[in-house]
Formats: sequence, structure tokens, C-alpha cells
Amino acid sequence: MSVGGDSRGSHHCITCGDDGVPMTVVRVDLDRGLALCADEDGARASVETALVAPVAPGDMLLVHAGTALTRLGSAA
Amino acid sequence: MKFVDEFRDAELGRAVAMEILSLVEPGRHYKLMEVCGGHTHSIYKYGIDDLLPANVELVHGPGCPVCVIPMGRVDDGIAIAHTDGVIFTCFGDMMRVPGSDGSLLDAKAAGADIRMVYSPLDALRIAKQNPDREVVFFAIGFETTAPSTALTLKRARAEGVPNFSVMCSHVTIVPPLRALLESPDLRLDGFIGPGHVSTVVGARPFQFIPTDYRKPVVIAGFEPLDILQAIEMILRQLAAGRCEVENQYKRVVPWEGNLRALEVMAEVFELRPHFEWRGLGFISHSGLKLSDAYADLDAEVRFSVPGVRVADPKACQCGEVLKGVIKPWECKVFGTACTPERPIGTCMVSSEGACAAYYNFGRFAREREVV
Repeated sequence: MSVGGDSRGSHHCITCGDDGVPMTVVRVDLDRGLALCADEDGARASVETALVAPVAPGDMLLVHAGTALTRLGSAA
Repeated sequence: MKFVDEFRDAELGRAVAMEILSLVEPGRHYKLMEVCGGHTHSIYKYGIDDLLPANVELVHGPGCPVCVIPMGRVDDGIAIAHTDGVIFTCFGDMMRVPGSDGSLLDAKAAGADIRMVYSPLDALRIAKQNPDREVVFFAIGFETTAPSTALTLKRARAEGVPNFSVMCSHVTIVPPLRALLESPDLRLDGFIGPGHVSTVVGARPFQFIPTDYRKPVVIAGFEPLDILQAIEMILRQLAAGRCEVENQYKRVVPWEGNLRALEVMAEVFELRPHFEWRGLGFISHSGLKLSDAYADLDAEVRFSVPGVRVADPKACQCGEVLKGVIKPWECKVFGTACTPERPIGTCMVSSEGACAAYYNFGRFAREREVV
């Protein structure tokens, strides 16, 4: 992973939390309201899902600063 | 990757560029502002401005969360970071933003315990792992990151983490846009609206732009085809004499935003009477602080901060860049005294900053032929 750049081939900057990252739900922790998610390169992170719950493995989410803001492909 | 590859199709891009060319009136100059720093980054990265006719000018707006933080706030953060027993956490970009006497990175080198985190949840985890230390999260950003901070504060309250607090420097997008529209320095023809902010606030808050100022707004995604299509939609409105809010980014942005996010923000935050923006000065009701119900988790209540306003360095023209009055390369110190390695101004710090984006991607192609 790079700092401040985008050598990952992706368009986001990993040092700035204010950047939307598309992630796929891998596992759901219902008790804690979190989901383990993976980005396009397979990097995993715990994501807060309160704003888009319920989620299930395979769902694609747009994640900002560790929080899923919306589901991808479902907006009207 | 799904939702990405299909929006980087070069052939489609060329077709939209031709459509744009057919919509512009020769002799008329079009000035469009991309509000969001993410758009600025994409525009330079993909060379989108090179696909546009020369009389369509893209002006970079104030939507980079790092770039708008004034030096005084950095000094406040450094003061808290130097407090005994404190672990100060922030996003990586924020660590390089210069204060009046160095950056958070300099403070870290001088011995303060300052750690980079990717989310406020990481900061909360550090607090739980270090119950004998005070952990402060420096919260910055627009309505995209504010819900994350709000949810983390609720979680801290629910899980009983007394050693966690937040230094809240969140800002909102509408007041600076109104300030820009009121500014006599700048005459804009339309706006490329912020994509991810709109996932939270929806499209409705931007309605004042066509209603009060008669300018079109098109909310756009961040892939090159998104931005090109948004420009085409704005030009189509202008050609037809229309001005309205349109949503190019429907695959992500619901018209009404995320109501759960707005609710949690309303519970945890309240508007400050005014907040200082780098280069833009004080703007009324543009910043967020913790509400009374969460005041016990407010780092500015828990710790003493100088709260002193610090003028921007004289050589730095970030304010004019943020208002779109000058282009990054027109700043006196661009690329010489001010570089991404040694930034003087905030616009050179973040990869979403107009100066850094231009420095990294666009500086080699400034001259182009008139189409």
C-alpha cells in the first residue's frame, strides 16, 4: 500500500479517510453491528454497517472512514 | 471491478467528449466548478480537462477536507497531542498539514504520541487497548466522514469507553458553496456536485443553487466517464436555458440521501455559530461541534486548547486556489517552495488538494491547443 498516492491502481488515497472505497462484505458480526469487508485488492477492514443494515456476505458497500454510507448498485 | 471498469471505457469517453464539443457555443466561455476534491483528483489523473474544448474551464472548489483546515486548528491539535498521557489520532493526510510551528508529524518527531488511523473506529479500538491513556480523534471532513465520527461516539458511549474523545473539525458543504456564489471574485456557470457527500445529504440541499442563483448542478461520480457525462449534462442544461439539480450518480446517490446518517448526525452534532475555513475566512453555520448530550466526549472541553486564529503564510495562495480564483500553478510558490514533499499550503498536502493533484498529474500538459 502506498502513502498519499495511488500506486494501487485504484483512485483512492489511503491516507485520507474522506474517500469512498467500494468494498464487499465477507462476514457479518451482527452483535457488534460490524462487517468484515474486503476492497478490490483484497485488503480487509472492519466496517460499521449501522447506516445500511442489514447486510449479508457478498453485498457491495461504499465505505467512507470505516463506515458504509450506501449500498452500491441499489440507489434509486 | 464491477462499478469501476465500465466507467473507464476510452471509446465511450471520446463519444461523450464529442457530445460536449457539439454543445458549446463558440465564443462563449464556460466556467464549471467541481466542488469535491475527489473530482479534482480524477480530473487530473485521467486528463479529463484535456478532452474538453478550450472554452470549457474547470475550476477547483473547496471540497478537500484537509485543505480547508486552518492553521489555528492544527495548532490546537498539536497542543492536545503534547498533553501528558494523550494518544492523538488522525487521518494520515492531516499529519502533514502545517500549523504555525510545524505539523503533527513534526510534533510526533518531537515525542508526542500521534498515530495515523484509517477510521474513528480504529481510534476507539486504541482507546480500549489503552485504558490508562486518553485517546483523542481529530475528526475532519464533510458529511461523508461526519456519520462515521457520530456512530463511533455513540459506540463509545454504549460500550463505556471513558478515555475516548473527539476534537471535532467537521464541516458542511452548503455554506461554503453559498459563500462562493456570493463572492464577487468568481463567476461560475455551473457546478459538478459532490458525489459521496450527496450519498448522505441527498440532492435536495443543492436546490438553492438553481433556485437562488440560476446555475445548474449535476451530482457526479468519480470515474472519468462520470465526470465527462456530468459536464455534458451541465452544458446541455445551459444550452437549453435550464438550471436544475440533476443526479448523474444514481447508482450510488439516492435523491433523499441516507436518512439514518442524517438522524445520527443530528443527534451527535450541532452547528457552530461560525467556523474558520482556510482561505475562505469565517463562514456562519458551516462547522459542526458535539451536541450538549455528547459534550463529555468533546476533546475541546476535556483539554485546554489555545484556540488562536493564525493567519495563513503570506506566500501561500491556498485561499485563492480553494475559491477557484487562481489555478494551482499561478501560486507564487507552486512547485518551488511548496511541493507535496514539503508543503507550505494545505492544497499541496492531500492528494485531493488541487495543487497536489496538479503537481502529480497535470503539470506537464498545461499548454494545449484551442479546439
